[in-house]
Amino acid sequence: MDHKDRNVVVPGDQLSDDPKKAGEGTYVKDGRVRSLLYGMASSYKDKVRVIPLAGKYVPSPGDTVIGTVQDIVFSNWIININSPYEGLLHISELPRKIEMNEMSKYLRIGSSVMARVKDVDSTMKVELTINDRRLGILTRGRVAEISPTRVPRLIGKGGSMINMLKKELNCNLFVGQNGRIWVDGNDDDMDLALKTILIIEKEAHTTGLTDRIMEFLRSEKEARS
Amino acid sequence: MSDVVMAEIRKDYLYHLVLKGERADGRVFDEYRDIDVETGPIRKADGSARVRLGKTQVMVGVKIQPGEPFSDTPNKGVIITNAELVPLASPNFEPGPPNEFGIELARVVDRGVRESGAIDLEALCITPGEKVWIVFIDVHILDDCGNLMDASSLGAIAALMTAKVPAAQYNLGEDYPLPVKDVPVATTAVEFGGATIFDPDTDEESVADTKLTVITTADGSVCGMQKSGPGFISQDHIYRIVDIACERAREIREKFLEV
Amino acid sequence: MIGMEDKVSFFKDGLRLDGRRPDELRPIKMEVGVLARADGSCYMEMGDNRVIAAVYGPREVHPRHLQEATRAIVRYRYNMASFSVEERKRPGPDRRSYEVSKVSREALEPVILTSYFPKSVVDIFVEVLQADAGTRTAGINAASVALADAGIPMKSLISSCAAGKVDGEIVLDPMKIEDNLGEADVPIAMTPGGDITLLQMDGRLTPEEFRRALELAKTGCQQIYEIQRKVLIDRYSSISGSECSDEASALAEEEI
Repeated sequence: MDHKDRNVVVPGDQLSDDPKKAGEGTYVKDGRVRSLLYGMASSYKDKVRVIPLAGKYVPSPGDTVIGTVQDIVFSNWIININSPYEGLLHISELPRKIEMNEMSKYLRIGSSVMARVKDVDSTMKVELTINDRRLGILTRGRVAEISPTRVPRLIGKGGSMINMLKKELNCNLFVGQNGRIWVDGNDDDMDLALKTILIIEKEAHTTGLTDRIMEFLRSEKEARS
Repeated sequence: MSDVVMAEIRKDYLYHLVLKGERADGRVFDEYRDIDVETGPIRKADGSARVRLGKTQVMVGVKIQPGEPFSDTPNKGVIITNAELVPLASPNFEPGPPNEFGIELARVVDRGVRESGAIDLEALCITPGEKVWIVFIDVHILDDCGNLMDASSLGAIAALMTAKVPAAQYNLGEDYPLPVKDVPVATTAVEFGGATIFDPDTDEESVADTKLTVITTADGSVCGMQKSGPGFISQDHIYRIVDIACERAREIREKFLEV
Repeated sequence: MIGMEDKVSFFKDGLRLDGRRPDELRPIKMEVGVLARADGSCYMEMGDNRVIAAVYGPREVHPRHLQEATRAIVRYRYNMASFSVEERKRPGPDRRSYEVSKVSREALEPVILTSYFPKSVVDIFVEVLQADAGTRTAGINAASVALADAGIPMKSLISSCAAGKVDGEIVLDPMKIEDNLGEADVPIAMTPGGDITLLQMDGRLTPEEFRRALELAKTGCQQIYEIQRKVLIDRYSSISGSECSDEASALAEEEI
C-alpha cells in the first residue's frame, strides 16, 4: 500500500505506483516508487519525496558552512566541515592577499570560519571561500551542532523560523548547511539560543513547532524579567 | 580515525565557564553525571554489570574457570583483567589489540580490585599447586562519552559482587557466590583552567592535559592511583582529589552497590 | 553428530525444549538509537542472544589507499565479547569471526547505495554480548536497523534468520542446543521482497528438506522485518504522537 503523506517511512517502503512521481529520496523498481531513506514521506506538487531524519552532510556549491581548521598543507587550509568530505580553503580565497608563510598567523589550526562552498568536483574535492563580507573568521561566540537534516526546519518556510529566532533572541545567528550554527551575544542570551536550537532539532518533525517555540521564548523571557 | 582538532572557540568556551565556576552541562566541579548500574544482564557470564555514567556505557563480564596457578603463588587464585576499546564505542577507537589506553584502563581497574583485597585469592585455591579458580574480568566499552575509568571500575566491582563461582559444572561442589571482601571505587578528575573537574565528559577530557584517578576502599583507604596525561598536577590538587574521592566513592557505594 | 549414548530428545508433545513450536521464533526485543557516539545504533535480543550494532559513516576512509573513487566502501566487523560464550573467549578476531564479518557485509552491501558517497566508508560494527546460536543473523538484523538509524540510503532493510533440522524435523531459529546437536543449520538473509543476500548451510539435508528449511527461514525473516520496521517507525511516533503538518513540509520545501 502507498504511504500517506508525511508519515515516517523506512528504506524500501512503497510510496506510489506511478514512476513519474519519483522525487528526492526515492527510487523506482518494477514500476513502483520506493523510499531510499529512513525519513518522512511527503507529497509536494506532483512528486513524492522522502525527507531524511538522519544522515551526513554532503557539500554542495553555494552552501554556507561553519568549519574548523585541522591542518595547513602548502597553500590550503584543511577544514573539518562535519562531513565525510573535508573542505579546502585556498590562500587565494581570502578577503585580502597574504603570503604563504603568513598562513598560520592569519588562520591557525583550531580556528573556526564561516565559509561558502565554491565548488565540489567529481573527485569530491571541496573548495571553500571566505572572500565575502558576510563570511570570515569566527573569533567569539559559540557554535552548536545539530543534525544537518534539521537545518531546513531551523530555517523554516521562507526563513520563518530563523527570522523569528533572530528577532526574539538577542543574538547574532548564522546557520551553516552542515548543521553548525554560530550564535553571538551575551552569555545568558547564547544559553537560551542554544537551548532553543536543540529543542527545534529534537522536534523538527512535529506539528505547530514555530508557535510552540515562540511561546517557549516568551515564557523564558518573562521568567527572566 | 584520529581525533578531530577541537575548535578553539569551544575550548575558549569551556575555559570561560570554568572561570565562572561552571561546566557546559550545568554540573558543579565535583559533581558526577547520572549513574545507572544493572547487574546480571549477561546470564551466561558468571557475573556481569552494565554501567551508564552520563552517556558513557560499559559492559563488564566476569567468567570464573578452573586453571593452573602461577608457579610463584601456588595457593592463590588468579585475576586477569582486560579492557576492549571496541571501535563501536567511539570514532577514535580502531580495531586491533588494546593500545596503551586500553592496557592502562585494564591495569588500573585491576589494581583497584587486587590491591583492595576485594577478592580473597587464597579462598580461590582448589588444589594447591595444581588447580585454582581463574577470575577473568573483561571490560567491554560500548559508548565513550568520557570517564571510562570510573565507569569500568564500577562495572567491575558490581559484576564481581554479584558473581557466582560455577563449581557445579566442574564437579567441584555447588555453585556459591564469589566472596568479595571490599568494594573499591575509582574517582577520576581532570585539570584545566586552574580547576579540578570530576567525572569529565569527552570535551573536558580533550581540553585537559592531566587526569588523576584515585581508587578508595570501603573504609576510606586509598588502594590505587594513576596520573595520566602529559601535564602537571600540584600537590594541593592531589590531596583535594583524594578527599573528594573518598566522599564520592562512599556515595556511589551506598547508592549503587548497596553497601 | 549425536552419539548413541547421549540421545537427547528435542521434542515433547510436539514442542521444543523451550516450549516453542517448530515454526516459532524466539522472543525478540529491539531498540534503536542506543549509543551516543555512533551515527546509528541498534540493540537486539533474539532469544538469549544479545547483540549491539553500530554504524559510523559515511566517513573518511583510513588508510586512504582503501578508498574507491566512485563509491563508498562498506566494512563490517563482527566481534564476540570474551564473556559472551560458555568458555571465556580470548579477545580479538578468529577465523570464524572473519568469515561471519565477510558474509554479513555481503548480506547488507547489495542494498546500500554506495554510489551516493564516493571516497568514503560505511563502517558497521557488531558486538556480541551473549551468544546462543544465531548471533550472525541477530547481528545482521541489528546492523540493518542501525544503518537506517544512521541515515544510510538503502533500497530496503535486510532481515535474517536461520532454520535447522533436529530429530528429523525442520525447525525455525534454532537455539544453541538445537544447533550444536542438530543435523543441519541454514542461516539466510533477505530483502522484504524475497531476494536472498545471505545463504549458508552446514549439516546434511535432502534437496526437499533444504527447500522446506529455506521456506521456513523466509517466514522467520518476514516476521523479523515487521519488528525492524516497527521499531524504526515507533521511534518518531512516540515523540510527535501524530503526523506532521505544513510546518513539516518546510523540511521539504526550503531552498536556500
